[in-house]
Amino acid sequence: MGLFDKLAGWLGLKKEVNVLCLGLDNSGKTTIINQLKPSNAQAQDIVPTIGFSIEKFKTSSLSFTVFDMSGQGRYRNLWEHYYKEGQAIIFVIDSADKLRMVVAKEELDTLLNHHDIKHRRIPILFFANKMDVRDALSSVKVSQLLCLENIKDKPWHICATDALKGEGLQEGVDWLQDQIKTMRT
Amino acid sequence: MSESSDDRKWLDAHFDPVAGLYTFSSCLDLAELSGDGESQLVVGDLGSGSSGMKLKVYRGTALVSESSLLDLPAGLVAFFMDLHEPRIPAVAVASGPCVYVYKNLRPYFKFTLPGLEVNTLEQDVWQQAREGQIDPLTLKEMLEGIRKKADVPLSFCSLQFLSLDASDMDEFVQLHKQQPIRRQTVITCIGTLKKSTADEDGVSCLVIGTESSDIFVLDPEAFIILAKMSLPATPTMMDVTGQFDVEFRIMVACRDGNIYILRRESDKPKYCIELTSHPVGLVRVGKSVVVGCTDESLQGFTQKGKKLWRIVLPAPITTMASMDLPSRGFQAVLVGLANCEVQLYRDKNLLSTIKTPDVVSSICFGRYGREDGTLIMTTKGGGLMVKILKRTAAFEDRDSAPGPPLAQSIRLNVPKKTKLYVDQTLRERENGLAMHRAFQMDLSRLRLAAAKTYVKALESSLTPVSSSLSEPLKMNAVVQGLGPSFKLTLNIQNTATCRPVMNLAISFLYDESLYQMRSPYMRIPLLVPGLIYPVETFVECTSDKGISDIIKVFVLHEGRNCPLLTAHINMPVSEGLKLH
Repeated sequence: MGLFDKLAGWLGLKKEVNVLCLGLDNSGKTTIINQLKPSNAQAQDIVPTIGFSIEKFKTSSLSFTVFDMSGQGRYRNLWEHYYKEGQAIIFVIDSADKLRMVVAKEELDTLLNHHDIKHRRIPILFFANKMDVRDALSSVKVSQLLCLENIKDKPWHICATDALKGEGLQEGVDWLQDQIKTMRT
Repeated sequence: MSESSDDRKWLDAHFDPVAGLYTFSSCLDLAELSGDGESQLVVGDLGSGSSGMKLKVYRGTALVSESSLLDLPAGLVAFFMDLHEPRIPAVAVASGPCVYVYKNLRPYFKFTLPGLEVNTLEQDVWQQAREGQIDPLTLKEMLEGIRKKADVPLSFCSLQFLSLDASDMDEFVQLHKQQPIRRQTVITCIGTLKKSTADEDGVSCLVIGTESSDIFVLDPEAFIILAKMSLPATPTMMDVTGQFDVEFRIMVACRDGNIYILRRESDKPKYCIELTSHPVGLVRVGKSVVVGCTDESLQGFTQKGKKLWRIVLPAPITTMASMDLPSRGFQAVLVGLANCEVQLYRDKNLLSTIKTPDVVSSICFGRYGREDGTLIMTTKGGGLMVKILKRTAAFEDRDSAPGPPLAQSIRLNVPKKTKLYVDQTLRERENGLAMHRAFQMDLSRLRLAAAKTYVKALESSLTPVSSSLSEPLKMNAVVQGLGPSFKLTLNIQNTATCRPVMNLAISFLYDESLYQMRSPYMRIPLLVPGLIYPVETFVECTSDKGISDIIKVFVLHEGRNCPLLTAHINMPVSEGLKLH
């Protein structure tokens, strides 16, 4: 990190990063983003996102602008229009929805093969969400089902989370922050 | 169509080959029973056919509820029976003469079909038996007499009695004589009909088809019969559209191999479709009906019963279901076949084929879980298969259907008519006769010239092919070398089918001041038909002036003065000088 960055850090001017938050409908994207926001800005009721919404939150050294995309089937074709702007991706998976794990894998494969993503070394953070549900799959099982081991050219990380309580989110965001910092320097 | 292309359309979400689900498409439905936005699969499981009948509910990949059924289910539908919030549908299971209605998966109501008219004679006979006036044997005789003559059939109880051995009769009479004689029919098929609104969650009436060839429409709240319609035969499958209070249409496939179409205004069928073989599947797609028949065919009809098309399938049909995806405006028919395939048809065009590991016995397409395009299939061996239509999947029309190729409908880029073209057409139109005459004259002249040349060639035997019938010969000549020495090879072939040619010779005619030939006269050996005989000789050019001439070759028959063949060989210019 250069001197200027340090100076900017002291002054409270943080670097801005654009992050895309993707995943199927009802996987908990909005809830996760809501948890990451400062507690005074959190929304009480989470409703299905229509289209997308833009949320902002700050970590110790970065200022995140998150594109919280709608996961509903009819809005998923909007995702690709934001791939160019995204500097990192958060992919949320409903670990309790075994039936639609194939759909999540399909959408992930489409994402990874998109020409705006394919040749970029862009960090991807997976949240295996809904760990609180009784027969939810473990994060290891989720990464097996999504064949994450095949992602060779991008840094990725999977966290088991419970977005309702906020468990596991901080670990993932810390990883993402480190990745973005190393990517820049 | 290859399997790989279908893998690109469907995602294999779940496959449990040992789910132990034995059912048919009529006993399968998808409904939001929990009210949390996730659709569940409700199955009337037939078990082994005699025991183990169950009502099962699947959520995602797991079985979440199971309750025993008393009798074999003939049909199962989920429907909204009231306007209460939250909007949770009830499940109606038709089995035997009853419809069992479940709310929140708990038994809620049982509707029994009204009894049929009972033969009065039969009643009297049983009355006598009850009073002990007649013994079981006389009872049997009298009942048999009634069975033969009466127009009203006997009750199930009497029929059962008639089938007993004499030893069991007494006990049977003792057991049953106190019970009143009733004649009951059974339900063969069940459907739903919206009451007054076309909304997705509008209150629906139950529509029931019975063995006694009747159709009943039941009120969803009071379970009273709102309408009764009679058919000429027992219904087996039905499709219902419209609203009871407005206008509706019930299409019923019957056991006599016909399809009857009932309308609101009449209690008798309005239209009849007579099929050439028995129907095994009935699916409505938009305004047309697709019927699968036992003769391995799929037929399309209009709402009024006019036949639109018929196609032949590769195997017998096991089941059929409609595939309706309103979000994409896509409607098609899924056909399960006995050769372990499920084919998807839009009208008569095959769009896609899904290969399955076992024969599919029931198909259901709709919203399952949170996914709109989910295909659920159960197999003959009791397996459960769930496939999800990909978001990006597109079905092309006319995939493999026969018909005019696509290229035929592409418009050609025909250039505009030029002035020259128009002038020419005008000229041709005006002078057509003269042009035709001139053409005919030229054609005749050309023919004459060709004939003359041919005759000349024949007369002078100039051709390298002999026209003689007894000695059909063919010859070609090859000159090799740069000069002054040339090698002349003549390939001679007898083209007759079986006759050899003998006594031939070759002679040359040439300018002796220019050329010198080693053997100007040669005898040809016997020519076997078909083989090519090379005859070689050497020619020496004696001139050094760089000029060339023609060498004439004659194939002669010994004792005849006219040559059989003549060939003119244009000798090349000698490019070398003879060394002395």
